[in-house]
Amino acid sequence: MAEWLMISELAMNKVKAANRQNQASHRGNDVSALQIHRKIALDSAKRLILSPLSSLMTIVVIAVSLLLPALLFGLNENLQSILLEFQNSARITLFLDNSVSESQGQKVSDDLLTDNTIQSAIYVSATKALEEFSLSSGLGEVLRSLSSNPLPAAVIITPATLNTREVNALSQRLETISEVDFIQLDSQWINRLSALSDLISIVGQLLAAIVITGLFFIIGNTIKLSIENRRQEIQVIKLVGGTDIYIARPFLYTGLLFGILGGSVAVFLQLIILIMLNGSLQELIQLYSSNFELRGFGFFNSLSLVITGALVGWLGAFLASFRYIRGVNP
Amino acid sequence: MIKINKLSKRYGDGQDALTNINFEIGKGEMSFVTGHSGAGKSTLLKLILAIEKPSGGDLIVNGLNLNKLSRREIPYHRRKIGTVFQDHQLLTDRTVFENVLLPLEISGFPVEDAKRRVRAALDKVGLLKKEKIFPAALSGGEQQRVGIARAVVNRPSIILADEPTGNLDPNLSAEVMKVFEQFKNVGVSLLVASHDTSLIKTLNYRVIHLDHGRMVNDIGISNE
Repeated sequence: MAEWLMISELAMNKVKAANRQNQASHRGNDVSALQIHRKIALDSAKRLILSPLSSLMTIVVIAVSLLLPALLFGLNENLQSILLEFQNSARITLFLDNSVSESQGQKVSDDLLTDNTIQSAIYVSATKALEEFSLSSGLGEVLRSLSSNPLPAAVIITPATLNTREVNALSQRLETISEVDFIQLDSQWINRLSALSDLISIVGQLLAAIVITGLFFIIGNTIKLSIENRRQEIQVIKLVGGTDIYIARPFLYTGLLFGILGGSVAVFLQLIILIMLNGSLQELIQLYSSNFELRGFGFFNSLSLVITGALVGWLGAFLASFRYIRGVNP
Repeated sequence: MIKINKLSKRYGDGQDALTNINFEIGKGEMSFVTGHSGAGKSTLLKLILAIEKPSGGDLIVNGLNLNKLSRREIPYHRRKIGTVFQDHQLLTDRTVFENVLLPLEISGFPVEDAKRRVRAALDKVGLLKKEKIFPAALSGGEQQRVGIARAVVNRPSIILADEPTGNLDPNLSAEVMKVFEQFKNVGVSLLVASHDTSLIKTLNYRVIHLDHGRMVNDIGISNE
């Protein structure tokens, strides 16, 4: 007995020494805290693997839920890039009256160049318009058989600004030129597309809010079930003095892991969708002779998707674990 | 260490589990609580562990009035008490070693020192060779001893034991009592609930006798 007490005494002294050391430098404490956290994280990972089917289900549910709003945001980014590409070529076409001669038309075009809200003005005579149209449409034979040229002469204008209001003001001014029959604003469909993009963005945000709320419940319920499964263990830990935070820690890691894995699977699914869509879109895009290509989430968006998953997972687990652990008493 | 004054406990169903209990256990004192099952022994231990709240009277443990104990303070209160449970309360998915390590892990003990302490505690109950075994593979007596090792590993100032010798043969029971006495000798207060009257008789300690929740006898013998 004396021997044992001596050993414990020795151990106590060492503990005291170690405590003193820890007080002297915080590093010792941090390392052991890190070790404890690593151990708990590994334990949580092991538990996920131990019930692979239910873990996989939860992860896939999280992934699909995150993917839906993320896809909308991705679609929007693609729309934005289209808009950007075409906004650079926003044009106003002035169709000239048939009575206007070629030299008069050229003069109208040259005069417009002095306007500093106009970047460029190109005069296209009726003859030239017909030539271009017969080339691009492949209807050359049909057009040549016509007795007169049905196409009007035009001035194609690129505004110096992209601002919708300024472009509109410019087009109103252009409409008053006497030689102009009517004008066509090529940016109208861009405006419509822009409005659609705004709508998609709002729908995406709403969907994200709904989905994240839903995920809190899904993760909360998963955590609740695993707390129920480990009820006896929690009771024992409470009996020997474990705090709620200590008990909650493995569940918080479980939530975090679910979130990270769900987010990662969402990124992976997105890649598959992207590859499939780009394959089938190729033909359509070639018809428009555009080098447009659907873009994926990119590194930062993918990362933020995973981080969103992690945050939602952790927070969902946090809310659930403290609620349910409180209810488990010895 | 434990001061009990006019303590009573009435459960929600109106049943009086304890009525007007008064006693005090000082530092380095060991006492037995006896009585037939349902006499209130377990309730008394539950109150000291803050598993149940007193209905009346005062219960002061380690200078702390348990009536005023907040939810947050309960875990820290329990860490100062080593408890041996009648049904062992071991974690079946952890080894003997990990079970005994649990109280130290909870209080964030430095890992290397914790391991040393766990081995010392297991050595004391004669289970050092079984540290890697899971509790289910142990006999009832061995499980009880793992519970004892876990109760003492944190060097608590108070040890509570609920029928600690219930599953043990007389030799092992005597061994367990020796372990308890060693703790008593270094200033630990012990309260042991037991109906093993033959064992209690051989030990000559104070015996508090409960009957239907009342103290009927307090044989305050001290062998010092």
